[in-house]
Amino acid sequence: MKKSYILGILLIGVAIAAIVSMYGDASTYEDFEAAADHPNKEFHVVGTLNREKEKYYNPQKDPNFFTFYMIDERGNESKVVYHNPEPADFDRSEKIVIVGKMNGQEFEASKILLKCPSKYTDNQVKT
Amino acid sequence: MNEVVFLNEHLFWGNLGHSAVVVSFISSIMASLSWFFQEKNPLDKSWQKLATWSFQVHSLSVLTIIFSLFYIIYNHYFEYHYAWQHSSRDLPVHFMISCFWEGQEGSFLLWIFWQMVIGQILIRTAKDWKAPVMAVIMLSQVALTSMLLGIKVFGYKLGSSPFELLRNVMVDAPIFKQADYLSKVKDGNGLNPLLQNYWMVIHPPTLFFGFATTVVPFAYVIAALWRKSFDEWLKPTLPWALVSVMVLGAGIIMGGFWAYESLSFGGYWAWDPVENASLVPWLILIAAVHVMLIYKSTGNSLIVAKVLTLATFVLVLYATFLTRSGILGNSSVHSFTDLGMSGQLLVFLLIFVVLSIVLMAVRWKGLPRSAKDEDVYTREFWMFIGSLLLVISSFQVILTTSIPVFNKVFSANLAPPADVIAHYNKWQLPIAVLIAILTAVAQLLKYKKNPENAWKKIAMHAGISAVLTPVLYFAFGLEVWLYALLLFASIYAIVSNSVLLVPFLTGKIKLAGASVAHIGFGVLLIGVLISSANKKVISINETGQALNPEFSNRENVENIFLERGKPSKMGDYIITYVKDSQHWVNTYYQVNYQKLNSKGEVDYSFNLYPNGQINPKFGLVANPDTRHYLSHDVFTYVSSVPSQKGEAKFVNKKEHLVKPGDTIYTNNAWIILVGVNTNANPEDLDARNLKVLLGAELKVHTLDKAYDAMPMYGVQDNQAVSYDALVDEAKLKFSFTGVHPESGKISIETSEKDTSGDFVIMKAIVFPWINLVWGGTIIMIIGFMIAIFRRIGEFKRLDS
Repeated sequence: MKKSYILGILLIGVAIAAIVSMYGDASTYEDFEAAADHPNKEFHVVGTLNREKEKYYNPQKDPNFFTFYMIDERGNESKVVYHNPEPADFDRSEKIVIVGKMNGQEFEASKILLKCPSKYTDNQVKT
Repeated sequence: MNEVVFLNEHLFWGNLGHSAVVVSFISSIMASLSWFFQEKNPLDKSWQKLATWSFQVHSLSVLTIIFSLFYIIYNHYFEYHYAWQHSSRDLPVHFMISCFWEGQEGSFLLWIFWQMVIGQILIRTAKDWKAPVMAVIMLSQVALTSMLLGIKVFGYKLGSSPFELLRNVMVDAPIFKQADYLSKVKDGNGLNPLLQNYWMVIHPPTLFFGFATTVVPFAYVIAALWRKSFDEWLKPTLPWALVSVMVLGAGIIMGGFWAYESLSFGGYWAWDPVENASLVPWLILIAAVHVMLIYKSTGNSLIVAKVLTLATFVLVLYATFLTRSGILGNSSVHSFTDLGMSGQLLVFLLIFVVLSIVLMAVRWKGLPRSAKDEDVYTREFWMFIGSLLLVISSFQVILTTSIPVFNKVFSANLAPPADVIAHYNKWQLPIAVLIAILTAVAQLLKYKKNPENAWKKIAMHAGISAVLTPVLYFAFGLEVWLYALLLFASIYAIVSNSVLLVPFLTGKIKLAGASVAHIGFGVLLIGVLISSANKKVISINETGQALNPEFSNRENVENIFLERGKPSKMGDYIITYVKDSQHWVNTYYQVNYQKLNSKGEVDYSFNLYPNGQINPKFGLVANPDTRHYLSHDVFTYVSSVPSQKGEAKFVNKKEHLVKPGDTIYTNNAWIILVGVNTNANPEDLDARNLKVLLGAELKVHTLDKAYDAMPMYGVQDNQAVSYDALVDEAKLKFSFTGVHPESGKISIETSEKDTSGDFVIMKAIVFPWINLVWGGTIIMIIGFMIAIFRRIGEFKRLDS
């Protein structure tokens, strides 16, 4: 067999391995219920900030502790704990994507992505 | 309804710009078609003439578009949506240039500009390849200029014009019912504060020049397939491909440097989809260049060389589609919104994909391929393996980056890996090890030959590197065995290529490009390895006391609370938040670092000024500040500041009875009353009916500095008045409250500024040996430059 064929087969094998690895490592977008069912797996949860309930951040006490209540896209609510300062512009967020896992009754977020009304859509002339 | 006649609009510039867009679009179609027919009818020179004329008209109109748009931004014509959205009156001129590419239309314009410049170079240098190559390049220009048209065709909006009027974008806003609406639009939205950085003035033009250059190798391959030419395309293509590698590489690393210097994610690379999208075509192009060299020296692998070159440009278009269509949505921090052009971008991509595939398929049978089996003991074999590894590396990156695309196509529900860095490193680290080893091995071998002594050299260099590896491994304090492998591979690349470089130094420096570039690659890898493996977050509370007994802090406690004026220990540093100051729109927080040596004494000290812009649109936008040393960087940014600073409060009021020469003690300072000044100058005071004015000359000593202060006392309209003096650095306020002639004493009241609400939350990271990342890249770029000169030389010798 020519070496180029062997290389070709190897290449296809590696490509398949890359696809499998992508699927294996990929997280999924879930709601809090699914996250509670699999407490040790990391998920992406999309939702909105519950403005009725109070968020908590007191840097004088602990600069690495921020909690808030989020409602996922199915309407379930959960407390979210984030061991980092409150992200800038958090109050203006329209949509929040949190990455992390459920820990008891709380969702421990390792990452928070905010979708704010950006200037691109904020088409209002201020006078 | 009456037609409103709007006042004070500058419609001329918009009309000029928009007409220029239309002209540039039509003239690019003309040019592309004319060059196409020129190629079909080589004897009819009238096509050539028409093509050149169309191209010159096109170039002129591109310059007109740019000039009109800049004129609009420069003069703050906010009747134009683009100027209103991306600029504001307070921007300095260099940031006005950045406004240009903040919007999508402007970045397409930048791309169009570079492709036009490249076209101008090609019509002068491409000789007999001019017609087919320019036909392809102008086709790409047709696609790009269509992005700026902003014209409705059969109900579909083609492109988005940067010359759209504000009142046409927001038709329903009531303000546009008024003829003099412009007098009410006082200022634009301004430039995103993250882009207000010098690197943002230079990084996008470089990156887009890189993107633009990839069309040239693509065009040559298409032209060669079209002409059924096998050999002749290579010599003109090689220098262009190398230019592309160099510029795109420089653009990518500038983006990394910008991210490091001005973003607060703490690093130069985050595997963000936008970064990946520009990395992948670059890797594929490097693979393509290597395979081209194999073909040039051995006549093998022509098909692979062509496929990779075609793939580079297609991947640039795919990257554009990914980042500009809004498909990345939730997965990228770079928020590009859909301008409704995703369909058009997809068509643009498909045109070039189909063109490539169809031409390859039609010519497939005629393409030469080698019949005999490859010899393992040659340079070309291992170069080929190295190129394949680059392809695998890019494939893995683009696969994970494309997750949002798979979601759309297969309605899947995948999200990017929760730990993105671990996911990419798992693949990219072993690949980097293999590639670095191959840069040594393949360079020591020869084309087509099986030299006896090469294996000795390969083994000897590997031996030297194997001895050096543990030395550096422990010197740098690495702790993971896989890192030892990468360290070995990088050292091997540097050692072998340095040995190869030596003979070139005394003569044919022109031939040294490959060695230099590979040395740079090795240095870059070591820099990446050490700066990320030993990156250390030092802003961790070390007081030993639990900050928050109610909560358990297990992880991510990477931010430190700094009250103003209170020193804290952090790693080997004592840090103090000294004060803040305002410059333009930014607040700079002065943070003093005192480095302790092993005995706990202060070794040296420095100040960092991380800044934050409390932007009404974006909230706190933090910019880091970095102290650079040869061996490491200290990187600091504020992650949070108090949301509002109230009125300053003063506490601990105390009255002191003193005479000149006496000392007053407060909690953090001692103050000497130097004297009482009877000639105090009441310059700034409301001096009417002021009878007596006395000033108390105070010398305020804090631990490390002394300040002067002069509170004043007077009698005005038979009432005692006192004028305070504030020493902000010492957080002290002084009032001169009374005179006691009988004892010769005066009353001084001291009070301390309450700074408990004045704090910053800060994060600090030490990056060891990050200079190797920048240094390695610069060496690599020098290597590319040497190679470019060599290949241009070869190309020029063609006709002499």
